Amino acid sequence: MLKRFIKYTLLILVLAIAALAIYSGYLYAQVEKRFSARRWSIPSTVYSDTTLLYPGQHLDSSLFNEKLASLGYRQVRHAPSQKGEIRIGPDALDIFLNDLKTPWTRREGFPVRITLSEAAIGTIRRMDSAETIPILELEPEEIMQFFGQERERRQLVSIEQVPEHLIRAVMAAEDHRFFEHFGVDWRGILRAVVTNLRTGAIRQGGSTLTQQLAKNYFLTPARTITRKIKEVILSVIIELKYGKREILEIYLNEIYLGQKGSVAINGIGEASYFYFGKPVKHLTLSEAAIIAGLIKAPNHYSPYRDIARCNSRRDAVLQAMHRWEWITETELQTALQEPIKAVGFIVAESKAPYFIDYLTEQLNTLYRPEDLSSLGLSIYTTLDTQVQRAAEKALAEGLTRLESLNAELQREAPEDKLQGAIVVMQPKTGHILALVGGRNYSVSQFNRISQARRQPGSAFKPIVYLSSLSRFTPTSLLSNDPKTYTVNGEPWEPQNFEPVTEYTVSLKDALKKSYNLATVDLAMQTGLEHIVDTARRFHFSTPIKPYPSVALGAFEVVPIELARAYCVFAAEGVQPFPLSLKGVVDENDKILEQQHLNIERLITPAEAFVMTRMLQDVVKEGTARSLEWRGVTWPVAGKTGTTNDFRDAWFVGYTPDILALVWVGFDNGDPIKATGAAAALPIWADLMSAIPQYRSEADFNMPDGVEKIVVCSVTGQRAVAGCPGPTEVYFLAGRAPTEDCPLHDKGGFAGKIIKGVKGLIDGN
Amino acid sequence: MGIKFIQIILVVLLAAGLAACPKPMLQETPSDAAESVTAEEAAKENPRVVASLQLTDQGRRLVEDGKPDNAIRVLEQAVSLHPANGQNYYYLAEAWLMKGYASQAKEFNQLAEIHLKADREWIIRVAKQADRITELEK
Repeated sequence: MLKRFIKYTLLILVLAIAALAIYSGYLYAQVEKRFSARRWSIPSTVYSDTTLLYPGQHLDSSLFNEKLASLGYRQVRHAPSQKGEIRIGPDALDIFLNDLKTPWTRREGFPVRITLSEAAIGTIRRMDSAETIPILELEPEEIMQFFGQERERRQLVSIEQVPEHLIRAVMAAEDHRFFEHFGVDWRGILRAVVTNLRTGAIRQGGSTLTQQLAKNYFLTPARTITRKIKEVILSVIIELKYGKREILEIYLNEIYLGQKGSVAINGIGEASYFYFGKPVKHLTLSEAAIIAGLIKAPNHYSPYRDIARCNSRRDAVLQAMHRWEWITETELQTALQEPIKAVGFIVAESKAPYFIDYLTEQLNTLYRPEDLSSLGLSIYTTLDTQVQRAAEKALAEGLTRLESLNAELQREAPEDKLQGAIVVMQPKTGHILALVGGRNYSVSQFNRISQARRQPGSAFKPIVYLSSLSRFTPTSLLSNDPKTYTVNGEPWEPQNFEPVTEYTVSLKDALKKSYNLATVDLAMQTGLEHIVDTARRFHFSTPIKPYPSVALGAFEVVPIELARAYCVFAAEGVQPFPLSLKGVVDENDKILEQQHLNIERLITPAEAFVMTRMLQDVVKEGTARSLEWRGVTWPVAGKTGTTNDFRDAWFVGYTPDILALVWVGFDNGDPIKATGAAAALPIWADLMSAIPQYRSEADFNMPDGVEKIVVCSVTGQRAVAGCPGPTEVYFLAGRAPTEDCPLHDKGGFAGKIIKGVKGLIDGN
Repeated sequence: MGIKFIQIILVVLLAAGLAACPKPMLQETPSDAAESVTAEEAAKENPRVVASLQLTDQGRRLVEDGKPDNAIRVLEQAVSLHPANGQNYYYLAEAWLMKGYASQAKEFNQLAEIHLKADREWIIRVAKQADRITELEK
């Protein structure tokens, strides 16, 4: 009987050991699989472009200060002594620059003084060497992260980067025998068992760092005996498979250490920046003890939550370190006296969300969404956050102003409200500096710059006029008389915006005053197919039919394509590809993707210049002349646009340095009862006034192949003394009028004789 | 003889008439030297231009160091600050040549030609660069 009992017991024991061995083998495989694969999902981060500062540069101080705050600079009263500190004086900024790190540039941070005078930078000088700096580049600004489901921020650190006092602080707080046990501290477990038996509930875990790691990686938070057994087995396996320092490194990168809005702060690397704005290697003993103390209950002991609680927890950790003789009495006392100074944080608001959507469309052609949320890529863009903020502000204020001026534009439902969109580009490089695809991203994510199809109206006319330059000149006369055209067998009778008495008008004046009748006349003489061909060459992707109404922009375009088309005039005839992405770099700083400016010549510099001069007349004397009293006094070329029944209002304006397109309208096509000049242009003016750093205020350079001729404003022929309002007009070389004005040629008798003689000699 | 006499009379009348006839307004051409010198001098005072020249120099050094991608980045910044500086386009063309992209090199070479036409020394360099681009295209 006893024998039988022993036999069965042994059998059960053998079976149990075999089962345990098999189960352990299974867990071993799991550990191996989990740890040999990628250990963490690191979200990819999107950055803005860097910011250039140079002496003489004009600045909008509020936007610039906002920029510095967004870059994480902390205002201090003393002379900045650490990276990220800034002292703002009445006429100077003292900044201890952060490190600059892009795939193309690397620079250690250093202290610098930027003097300011009359809203412009005076000098830039290093504070450590007094060296003058001709041009300074500020680091790119983080715009967003591609989070996965976990929404975790983590900056990985290697164990070599972690200072010894931080390792000891973590051990003191969580597992002081870490280097002595095999993953499970039996003394700790016994202590926990006794406590739990005494209280009748599971209160104390007695977990080692390895157990915590096993729990985080493989187990649910449920407190059960089976889970505890599993945790013990896993811990032993981990200890068998990995060295102590490797386990410690994984633990320090894994551990949850707080919350930034909806995003979890994981790992000491991220926590070090989140709480103290510095890398782990620069943490003081006190700061290390604070971070170690957080592990127990990160939000409870957070310095952002309760400074006194944080203080007592830090002190407890420091006392424990002293107890284990890891720090001296002096070190203890110094650390205990150190005031807790967390750097503060801004919960990342959604910056430039429409730009990000536009960028993401392009990124998705290169990377899978799951890669973007896990591979920890750094994505560098062309976005200028100062321009973006200025554009958002100008649009928001402009739309509100329109609504307040006209109650009929007000709508109750947020999704029905008056909409607008802005894109700002550098015409020479194609860099998209700002993109605002709508009024409120949280209400509507529809991107009205890249996804909308709207009629451009008169904003398309420059393409018509450009198409005509091979046959016409700026002084060619056009009929501004009403006519009836046949479109698809139906009569079509275009009208001017308002009745005019000029029945014959020069080409440049027709564009300047945006006359519809003269433009249709020009289009018919130029050839509608030719105009459509020009539009195709300019990369308009929407269907454009050779109907007479094409002259008035009565077809749909994608706004960003319209902006891109105008770049050709600003960029001496070359069209850039619109760029939002500059480059992608992996975690090891290896460049994966680079996008450079890419240009294509579409027209000659002379044609571009002649068009620009005519579009400058639009701003000086034509439909956009109100820009001047809105403060835009520097050379600008541009065109307004208003569509049928006031459904769309446009203004596209440019200088040699910058181009911006503004659209205003309702999504459902309701009339906005305002022209491009009244609705879109003021927004453009506000935007340009807010970004003085992008204004060189230089005029457009006249290229070869252009002639400047003074013509009679009445006849369009070369002006003679006596011509009323002689005007400078730019012609393509060889196309300028050769005859003097016949109407005001008051040569009298002598002149007539000369002409007669000339005729005679010519006749001979 | 009679015809010659009439011709002389007509020439005298022509000279007198020319003095009396209405004068065409002064016409200008792009080669107006005074205008371009003033513009150039004004540009040198412009802070954007001064900053841009620093970047142009950096870009040149990067091209010379055989780092075309880095050079393109810096020269893009230079162009954005001072689009009229033809040297930026010359070095951009050089960087694209280095990368083996003839079509982009050609576009920038043409821009360099437009902006550097007044500088004899530079225009020779631009022409030589155009030859190298043509070679690459072959």
